[in-house]
Amino acid sequence: MDPLTAFPALILTPLLASPIIYLVGRIMARSGKMTPVVGWITTFILTVTLVPLFFISQAYSNQISIKLLFGTIALRVDGIGVLLAFTVLVLSSLVALFSRQYMDGEPGEEKYYALLVAMTGTIIGLGFATDLFNLWVWFEAMAISSVFLVAFYRSQPGSLEAGLKYLVQSAVGSVFVLIGIALIFAATGHTDLAKIQAAINSPTPILLTAGVCFVIGFGVKTAIVPLHTWLPDAHSQAPSGISAMLSGIVIEAGLVALLRTLGMLAISASLWGVILLSASGLNMLLGNLLALRQTEVKRILAFSSISHVGYMLLGFGAALITGSLDGAAGGFFHLINHALMKGLAFLSAGVLLYAIHLSHDRHTPLTIDDLNGASRHYPLPALAFSIAVFALGGLPPLSGFMSKWQIFVAGFSGQNPWLMVLVLFAALNSVLSLAYYAPLVNRLYRNQCAGEEKGDVPISWTLLAPLVLMTLAVIIIGFYPALLNDLTYPAAQDFLKIIR
Amino acid sequence: MVSVLILTSITLPWIGAILVWAVGNNRPTLQHGIAVGFSLASGFMSASLFLYPSNEMALSIPIGGAFGNFTFVPDGLGVVLAAIAALIGSLAVIFSVDYMRGDRQLGRYYSMVLLFIGSMVGLVLTSNLLLMFVFWEMTALCSYALISFYNDDPKAVTGGIKALIMTQIGGIGLLFGALIAFSSFGSYDISIFLQKANTLPPALLSLTAFSFLVAAAAKSAQFPFQTWLPDAMEAPTPVSALIHAATMVNAGVYLLARFYPAFANVPGWTTAVVWVGVLSALLSAGMALVASDLKRVLAYSTVSQLGYMVYAIGVGGIFASQFHLLSHAVFKALLFLAAGAVIHSVGTRNMNDMGGLGKQMPFVRNVFLIGSLALAGLPFLNGFWSKELILEEGLAHGPLWAFIGMMMGAGLTACYTLKCVWMVFYGDQRTPLHGHDAGHFMKIALFILSIGALTSWVLVGPLGTLMELTLPFHSIKAHSTGEILIEVLTAPATLLALLVIASGFALWVWRNQLSRITDLMTGIAEGARRSFGFEEINTAIVKGTNSIAEFIRNTQTGILSVNILGILVGLVVLLVSIAVLSILGA
Repeated sequence: MDPLTAFPALILTPLLASPIIYLVGRIMARSGKMTPVVGWITTFILTVTLVPLFFISQAYSNQISIKLLFGTIALRVDGIGVLLAFTVLVLSSLVALFSRQYMDGEPGEEKYYALLVAMTGTIIGLGFATDLFNLWVWFEAMAISSVFLVAFYRSQPGSLEAGLKYLVQSAVGSVFVLIGIALIFAATGHTDLAKIQAAINSPTPILLTAGVCFVIGFGVKTAIVPLHTWLPDAHSQAPSGISAMLSGIVIEAGLVALLRTLGMLAISASLWGVILLSASGLNMLLGNLLALRQTEVKRILAFSSISHVGYMLLGFGAALITGSLDGAAGGFFHLINHALMKGLAFLSAGVLLYAIHLSHDRHTPLTIDDLNGASRHYPLPALAFSIAVFALGGLPPLSGFMSKWQIFVAGFSGQNPWLMVLVLFAALNSVLSLAYYAPLVNRLYRNQCAGEEKGDVPISWTLLAPLVLMTLAVIIIGFYPALLNDLTYPAAQDFLKIIR
Repeated sequence: MVSVLILTSITLPWIGAILVWAVGNNRPTLQHGIAVGFSLASGFMSASLFLYPSNEMALSIPIGGAFGNFTFVPDGLGVVLAAIAALIGSLAVIFSVDYMRGDRQLGRYYSMVLLFIGSMVGLVLTSNLLLMFVFWEMTALCSYALISFYNDDPKAVTGGIKALIMTQIGGIGLLFGALIAFSSFGSYDISIFLQKANTLPPALLSLTAFSFLVAAAAKSAQFPFQTWLPDAMEAPTPVSALIHAATMVNAGVYLLARFYPAFANVPGWTTAVVWVGVLSALLSAGMALVASDLKRVLAYSTVSQLGYMVYAIGVGGIFASQFHLLSHAVFKALLFLAAGAVIHSVGTRNMNDMGGLGKQMPFVRNVFLIGSLALAGLPFLNGFWSKELILEEGLAHGPLWAFIGMMMGAGLTACYTLKCVWMVFYGDQRTPLHGHDAGHFMKIALFILSIGALTSWVLVGPLGTLMELTLPFHSIKAHSTGEILIEVLTAPATLLALLVIASGFALWVWRNQLSRITDLMTGIAEGARRSFGFEEINTAIVKGTNSIAEFIRNTQTGILSVNILGILVGLVVLLVSIAVLSILGA
């Protein structure tokens, strides 16, 4: 496939499919029979969009430059965009498959799938954006589609509250991004990222203030402490597939946007590096401490996402300060891994939530007591959940260990004492996280179930297949981390090219 | 050939682990069979490595980048421990056929045990520091999973998580060393590290040496990290025998032995190692003397004997420490499995409730006696030769105060050992307990181990030769078995030790007559019962962390305006920091 047609296909397919899916679903709902067609179309669309991505990445690795200029929309292929697109497409197709049974019969099901596809499309676009205005538009579009997904259970006050907080705080962030863009435009007269970087000769106060605005603005979405307060509510109230998407890719999209803008301001790269490293320390510690006392499973996972953003910030911060390839590659590696591991954790918790509460039409959250003895009736979700949380805790031979290790190697290269201390702090935090992950696994494998007989709710293969695939991925990548080198190293090299 | 042996001894148990789980818990006989079969296969493969020892890299799997190449070397240090892990592993699995009969989650049990065996073999055979760390963590995971195997018992869960956290924190020491090696030398290879260690800046080398000591102390439950091992006794007893006596806890000793050439000249390191060894040996011997839980006595005893091995390394007796490691693995596994047979049949671990069980379980009593005499260090059992070798090295090369301390430890060992044997098997029955002798599979494992306790010292000559040939950095001089036997028998330390051991026995036998002396020590005894305050430290740390976490929860108010205030606070802090940093930078 010609890359010049593949690229528009990649961008347009999800965006055009979204309203079509909505229409198809609406028509079927109107005529009374809400068939599974909508879910299957969604899964198909998302999976098939991987095909143009494959051709694009092939072409890109052969040094072919691929651009798309359509009016004011300017997109360009690079390693970072390919990595983000790959992660979002893989995760969203698994989530779409998962939602086949999970969202079966929910009011507004067709909106769910339409929004899921739209969110995927906007994230892909965000990855390839090359100018500030584009970046902001795709970013906002992603925010809008995700807000409605967070507040999907509109009859539940908890969901609505979570959605509202997410919306308002996200809007505050967006205002700051706009202020940042305005400042940059005032200082340089451009919006194209590369042109701006070329036009900057020294770090003036305006540029530094713009950088701060970007950190705050994108930082809300990336859940940098103290901007993270919307996250626990949003990630725990959303439907489990969406929780997986939010933790797995939406936060990371915010991080990528932040990296693009800080890359543009690379004249002060070490300054931003210090900021990111301080944020990483705060994120890791607070994410873990806050998770320690939680009793709701999805809230534990949500707080844990805050701490994992800390690891990514550590890798990128090290890259900004020392120019370490391993730092950037490790950060991107952890991005993919976190999507897989956290996605797996949320999806397997989702199966348990579905079996125990949702299938009985109860919208109560999954508590740690609900996990007691769950492995008896639901062995596969229990095993998948255990592997996911051990991977998140950084235990070998699972994938989470390998990406954390690469980041630690980056922190030690050059033997900067402060970085080394931060790496040891990160390792200690990994141990601390086991203090709240391990008890969950212990509860799963009790012989005595919690309270009433859980019975046997039929779990179809559409709920289990994503779990199996992601578990295998987590284990295989753990044994052979070089598997993802073709994704992480081009992205890392492109990032370093930007900041040099 | 060698690479095949190495690969299979690591991966066969792992394949077995997957199969055991896949077969399902409603086919227990098949699960027992798979477990025994694969562990025996691994035992056979690792034992065969004795035919091909070398210090050349035998297997290399290239991964590249930040991960190096996964390399394996079958040298003397590694092959001995690998064989111990796999062989005692298979005996523990055979024992489990009787011990775990009827358990509902047999698949989880066996897969974790098999995963452990493979990881332990990998840990000692690898020459890549990253891979060693990987296996280190994997053994910790299996240990945690097996300690907390009975998930419905909160004590077991707490014990498991405690072991996990403490050994993981120690593991950071090993992580530090691996990262230093890679960033300084561009390679994780251990021989390169040993070769070039003295090119590191002294502060860095010192830091690495002490981090490794921390890692080893945490893994081997040495001072000040000894509190996790007694609580790990909630595990099923075959697990206690395998992981917490014969193999995993030796990983710390192995680490110290492996890296001794690099760190021996770091100022204060060997002294620190000696201190750790002596303190662990004495404090836990004291705690063993006052404990009333049968497995806890053995756990403290393990800590104490590991202290001897660490002490040996501290005074430069690498070979002596590894020889005692071999003896200890055999007799301690024997003791634990025999204790397991007792506990399995009478249903309690409290020695105060036992007594006179020797009449009901003669076979178990006899093998337990053999193990105890080996532990106490009576001549001609394997423990005697290895312990005397250590004491000799200590007298010749180490500080005198340490030697005296270790002698006292030997006396205490004899005392608590005799106490243990007496309280369980002899005297009158204190409570009406109905015990039956061990099952067939238990008997097989116990029998083989008791033969080992009687004869494993014969291997001392070949062991020495093996190490001399394959460990170029360690300068070990080998002697034949006969030479070592004569050396031990004629050393003054030996006579002294035998006297001390005899007085240890006497202390117990005449405990009533010596009551005035023992009354004076009630204060110390009470302190020993309370683990000399270390439990308090642990509880304080846990409580402290939990209260900080609970306090921080106040930041998550749930009020939207407060959240937005948080954003603005972040903005202000960031602006101020940038301003300060750029002024400082400029």
